[in-house]
Amino acid sequence: MSQIFQTGDKVRVLEAHPPGHRRTPYYCRGKVGEIERVCGEHRNPEELAYGFDGEPLRRLYRVRFRQADIWGGYDGPENDTVDIDIYEHWLKPAQ
Amino acid sequence: MADEREPHSHDHDHDHDNMDADAHALEHIHDHDRQFQPDIEDTPPERYELMTYAIRELLIEKGHVTADEIRQAQETLDSWQPSRGAQIVARAWTDPSYKERLLKDGNEAMADFGVDAGGAKLTVLENTEDVHNVVVCTLCSCYPRAVLGLPPDWYRSKAYRSRVVVEPREVLKEFGTEVEDDVTVRVHDSLADLRYLVIPKRPEGTEDWSEDKLATIVTRDSMVGVVNPKAS
Amino acid sequence: MAEKFTSANEPGRGYHDIGGLDYGPVDPETTEIKPWEKLSIAIGNSMGGQGRKIVNTDMGRRAREGMGEEMYNALDYFERTTESTKITLVEQGLFTEEELEARMKEIESRLAEVRAQ
Repeated sequence: MSQIFQTGDKVRVLEAHPPGHRRTPYYCRGKVGEIERVCGEHRNPEELAYGFDGEPLRRLYRVRFRQADIWGGYDGPENDTVDIDIYEHWLKPAQ
Repeated sequence: MADEREPHSHDHDHDHDNMDADAHALEHIHDHDRQFQPDIEDTPPERYELMTYAIRELLIEKGHVTADEIRQAQETLDSWQPSRGAQIVARAWTDPSYKERLLKDGNEAMADFGVDAGGAKLTVLENTEDVHNVVVCTLCSCYPRAVLGLPPDWYRSKAYRSRVVVEPREVLKEFGTEVEDDVTVRVHDSLADLRYLVIPKRPEGTEDWSEDKLATIVTRDSMVGVVNPKAS
Repeated sequence: MAEKFTSANEPGRGYHDIGGLDYGPVDPETTEIKPWEKLSIAIGNSMGGQGRKIVNTDMGRRAREGMGEEMYNALDYFERTTESTKITLVEQGLFTEEELEARMKEIESRLAEVRAQ
């Protein structure tokens, strides 16, 4: 499967709240961050959790978010970040 | 009950060190009719302790796993200690080429110390003059167990999991750690197969220390990023 | 002050998904992990490898997220580990809750007998 994002790309996490086992935390959904690194392909945990084999493999990215872009009123330094491991199917390009 | 406290020998196929008194008593009761007298807790085991033993027995009886496989898993778990992480950090502090290997591929570099993290991708983060890293798993308590052992109470707590992503500097203060405003704090939420190990900043005054001596000041908490190692 | 969430009870948010909530000050004190607690982890570790799909990490996590908020908040981490292993094994038909409870009572009696001597 061809890789959609590169390091440095701006991405937005889907504003989606599907039921079931998900590993994209609520606090980053709908938020914009930047691809910090590409992390290889893995079996999809959302499917492994139900006894499927988790294939086809999904690409994982580390996405870096500015704290100020996630939390309103964040009062730490503006360079502070939170890095989250997020799967490709949860991301779309951001302007 | 004349000899109830007298120790006796028989074939031991279990490991006393890895087993608590009740589990030990269980195995002996299975093995033979005569009751053995280990040091036993005075209070009865609680519900989830009993449930754990019961699950183990049923799994073995139904052939899904052997007692030996569980024992081996216990021994592997016991070999996972923060001292391993400390050795790795001490090597990184003294050997810049090792540090580069660690930052490039944690699994490959840590294999030098016999570390096998299974499917986990050990990812190493370096604290510097400009960046302070701190690790969490907000959804459960994922943690680089192969090099740090099992996570401590505070790492597993809802307080830490909920707050360190949103107010990391305040949480660090609760550990006695202040990070200056000109240092960036990066929180890492490890929710997939990556497991993070922090190389904390080497304190001043340790320039001529041996690797072994350095390892003694690298605490588990410093490798998660909530405290900085101290020279004294 | 960063605006934290006030409740995990938002549509599509699991009760385990707590990043950004405020569960109070962190207590840096640690307690020793008991042998049965290590066993609860070792059981899962022994089953998840060698191609066995009976228990894997992801199923265990799903069970933690599915045990219900009350239980999730009442139990500590290792109790939840055992509870989630149980849920996964019962779901797979390896044993029933009744079988398990019966075995727990039996073990309790065995241990009480030994203690009584």
